[in-house]
Amino acid sequence: MITGNHAAAMAAAMAGRANRSGRGFCSGVYPITPSTECMEFLCLQDIEKGHVVKVESEHSAMAVCVGASAAGARTFTTTGGNGLIYMSENVTVAAYLRLPVVMVVGNRAIGPPWNIWTDHSDSLTLRDSGWVQIYCWNNQEVFDAVLMAFRIAEDHRTLLPVMVCQEGFVLSHTMTLTEIAYQAQVDKFLPPLQLPHRLATTPRALGTFDTSHMIEAHREQHHAAMGMVWSAYREAQADFERIFGRHPPDPVVTYRTDDAQLALVSMGTIAETANQVVDDLRGRGLKVGSIRVCMFRPFPFDALKQAFAGIPRIAVIDRDISLGFGGALWGEARGLAEPGAIVQNFVTGLGGGDVRPEHIEEMVTEALGLTTSGPPVFIGVGE
Amino acid sequence: MNAKSKDPERKGYRSLLRAENEAVLANIPLPLEIRVHGRGGQGGVTCAKLCALVYSRLGLFAQTFGDYGMERAGAPVRAYTRIDRNPIKNRNKIYSPGHLLILDPSLLESGAMGGVRPGSLVLLNTPDPLAFFHGAYEEFRFAVVNATQIARKHRIGTSAVVIVNTTFVGAYARVVGLPLESLKETYSSLGLINDFEAAREAYDSVTAGENINPAAVSPMVTSPGSRSSLDVIPLTELTQDLPTPLKTGSWRTQSPRYVTLKSPCNHACPAGNDIVGFVQKLENQDLDAAAEILFGTQPLPSVCGRVCPAPCMAACNRGQYDGAVNIRGLERWIGDHATNYSVTKNMSASSKKVAVAGAGPAGVSAAYTLARAGHQVVIFDNQAKLGGILRNGIPAYRLPEEALDRDLNRLLALGVEHRPHQVITSVELERLAAEFDAVILATGQADSIAPEFPGIDLPGVEQGLTFLNRVKTDGKERIRGTVAVIGGGNTALDCAGTAVRCGAERVMIVYRRGRLEMPAIKEEIEDILLEGVELILYRQPVRIIGTGSVTGLELAEVQLGAPDGSGRRRPVVTKKLSRIACDHVLIAIGQRPNMGILPSGWLVRNQRVHYDEQPVNIWLAGDLTTGDGTVAHAIGNGRRIANEALSFLEERASCSMELSSSVPEVVTADGMRFSCFTTKKAHQDRRLDVASRIEGFSEVNLGLPIENESQRCLSCGNCAHCDTCLIYCPEGIITRLNQDYFINLDYCKGCGVCVWECPRHAMEMSPQG
Repeated sequence: MITGNHAAAMAAAMAGRANRSGRGFCSGVYPITPSTECMEFLCLQDIEKGHVVKVESEHSAMAVCVGASAAGARTFTTTGGNGLIYMSENVTVAAYLRLPVVMVVGNRAIGPPWNIWTDHSDSLTLRDSGWVQIYCWNNQEVFDAVLMAFRIAEDHRTLLPVMVCQEGFVLSHTMTLTEIAYQAQVDKFLPPLQLPHRLATTPRALGTFDTSHMIEAHREQHHAAMGMVWSAYREAQADFERIFGRHPPDPVVTYRTDDAQLALVSMGTIAETANQVVDDLRGRGLKVGSIRVCMFRPFPFDALKQAFAGIPRIAVIDRDISLGFGGALWGEARGLAEPGAIVQNFVTGLGGGDVRPEHIEEMVTEALGLTTSGPPVFIGVGE
Repeated sequence: MNAKSKDPERKGYRSLLRAENEAVLANIPLPLEIRVHGRGGQGGVTCAKLCALVYSRLGLFAQTFGDYGMERAGAPVRAYTRIDRNPIKNRNKIYSPGHLLILDPSLLESGAMGGVRPGSLVLLNTPDPLAFFHGAYEEFRFAVVNATQIARKHRIGTSAVVIVNTTFVGAYARVVGLPLESLKETYSSLGLINDFEAAREAYDSVTAGENINPAAVSPMVTSPGSRSSLDVIPLTELTQDLPTPLKTGSWRTQSPRYVTLKSPCNHACPAGNDIVGFVQKLENQDLDAAAEILFGTQPLPSVCGRVCPAPCMAACNRGQYDGAVNIRGLERWIGDHATNYSVTKNMSASSKKVAVAGAGPAGVSAAYTLARAGHQVVIFDNQAKLGGILRNGIPAYRLPEEALDRDLNRLLALGVEHRPHQVITSVELERLAAEFDAVILATGQADSIAPEFPGIDLPGVEQGLTFLNRVKTDGKERIRGTVAVIGGGNTALDCAGTAVRCGAERVMIVYRRGRLEMPAIKEEIEDILLEGVELILYRQPVRIIGTGSVTGLELAEVQLGAPDGSGRRRPVVTKKLSRIACDHVLIAIGQRPNMGILPSGWLVRNQRVHYDEQPVNIWLAGDLTTGDGTVAHAIGNGRRIANEALSFLEERASCSMELSSSVPEVVTADGMRFSCFTTKKAHQDRRLDVASRIEGFSEVNLGLPIENESQRCLSCGNCAHCDTCLIYCPEGIITRLNQDYFINLDYCKGCGVCVWECPRHAMEMSPQG
């Protein structure tokens, strides 16, 4: 029985130990609710060739990771909410230098006014920062996703940092039964990091000037690396299953959508609630299904388009709001539906608002009654 | 008024202006694209703006913008101007300009001509005349102007970076036929009217080619900017810095360079010691190397390390920070500890015979220099042992015999012969001059000065040096009663200290000026006061009282008047008299040379003896001629005169370089960056406690406990290989190989950061080219 935070820290520590025959492990850390317990747990770990560096801010925490990663260490950190926003400058540095840093984001609403509870608006603010983003729906997935994250981050085809997002408190502070791996298994799954562009014996400058044509080429290469995540992820899934006996989720997971007249689309823990609602409504004869988007960057266009095939009504549930636009997930997903399909956005669960089955049923009822899709609808506001 | 009703009015105003200037505009191909090439700092962007504003005044529409590089002053900069009868909507850069303006001729080689069509106007700022370009650029309307020279004359910008834009536009106006009046109005509106005269001069002096040959092809013209298809290495494959293709060194107007300037200590040392040199070797734990440097100029380090007034320490820049480096203590350290070091000698020179008369510091220094150069040296002296004043005139508690002998034994080890008890007379001198190839006369200030006041012949009155010599030779004597010493120099102090040690009940020093004016070493004054000696200041003895023997001194009060030649205030003796009781008077008011030993007819010029207007083989060294009065001065002068004699012996040109006054710049405290150094208090010499001192003649100053005082040397004006330049270079183009730094001038932009950051002024900027 462990929390999401401890699951993340255990996975990070095991991944760190797995690099003991390489350049070791390093983590720059700074506490913030709801991620504090993850970094505290990590600080208590005894990791061979490992350093957990306590610094004075999230910005510096990521700077430590950038430097350590550039030197070839396996690197990890965790933060959330405004901590992530404060860290953001160096978050982009890690990505643009193509350093395989792994970060667990304890998703938290951005203040002020201050709120310590969850929504996805912090990590989604950084959706364009060049990181891979994985959204988890339970503690087991947090543990597994951290290991998977190192694997795809360090893959030579990708070399990208990875954010593993877990909703604050809902996952970070909730204890559930979680299977922990043996170190030997992790060693097998995560061979020592070989960073091709690591700082070695020849001194050189990192992040020097790019002219227009160079930065264009570097962005194109970065984007292409994002495209390589799918194959890297697939191969990692297969290895993971072989070694640990569990199958990490596909980037898009469908649930009872085969003959669905309406699909609920969501990320993170809301999908679990949505699946329950699907079961309930199916019991009442409504042909509804649920689609979970597990990876937001790179965005799984093909898988989602395939999942949407033949479904005339789609309700996209966002635990975030791109102000002046609507939900971020809806914004990306709506163009992938069948021509003529109604794609309606529902924004809910902001700042830790509890998303209950009746909220989702309300969305289904509303979506089924639409003749055309409208602007985003807020559900459960003020409850 | 809304936009709709305003627009036609503006349009109307513009067409009105155009109509007025139709004659001018008829010659200008519209739409027109102008491209300006300059270097950051020359004002290229403003140049394009000025062109746009002039056209705008003629009723045309204009657009202008700069295209900045990523770097600073000197970087190639482009700027663009578009002119048309209609509003301009194209915001792209200009690839095929109709008018090309080049503010720096070096830009011709870096693609400035790219995309220029035949028949276009090319105006170049260059010192070269049009004829220089004969045969090139024939397909263009090619014109040249020396705008830099004109702008410099009008003092536009700085001497290093001349701003040429306003001048250059004058030339442009001429070649395109723009009215000078429009130019003047434009400059006025921008507050640049002071530059207008320069523009007018350029207007008058620009020269353009006559004919265009469209078939000609200039070698430097490249195709218009094509889309780059360069491969860009992914960041994930980058394992080393790529050499930048941009040779930024071409932007430089000044260059940094490493220099060795004169440290204030070296500058101040009368002996000419390389103090920074030997102290830095000590700092590197290399005692023998330090000795090698010190013994290059200094045969008497154990002596000078004890008795030198150390003008080097007074000049030390660190004195203005946290206390001067204890250089005297470090010199003594080498003299006392480098016992394994043996002085080297040139064995190859054809040996000549040189006589040195006088075994004081100047004679020793001259003998040392000549012996090291490989010559046979004989020292003639009237005493039993070498050392002169050092042996006879300085008490053992300041300069122990063994310290003096340690230095002198090195001299004897060079093979110098010592002939004691030789009284130098004029006859003897003539004999030496005939017998030896050269003679150095260094008999010093042998005669003590006796004051001319009553009672000077009374028993109990004695010359201080006589007293010191007797005590030193015969050992401690018993003195009863009160001793008055007249004088304020080191000899006076030595007399007082010796009297104390001989048991005098009371010892007074009578000096006519104040304590600050006393020429003695400051620390020695402190010491003598601790030993119980009293100072009677601003008093001039006028009479020694006593019948049969001394019973007292009559003193006149002295007031200080205007400063004399030495900068000290001249004492003015008043008639206010007082008396002190004393039983002994020691005179220590100085010595003078005995020039009577020179044979008649011998004249001294520049320290060399001349006879019958011709220089002969005899030189005078040290206090005999200079009267500087310190060991260090005598050593320095002895060596310099020995070198003069050497150049005579070895038939070389006079090596007066060392005498020359053209020394390198001396680094002052203003030139140092003290913030680079942590404060560290000077290590003090250990001193014997007062009770033990006055019991006998044991040495008072026991020297430094350890040589790490050398760490405090800032190495002013001398590179200490601290790597500050290398670390601070923003371009990372300074490298070091062992003890040498290299600046890659291909990339150095001359920003001066290295020079600014150098803690010790061992770098400077120099004008380029």
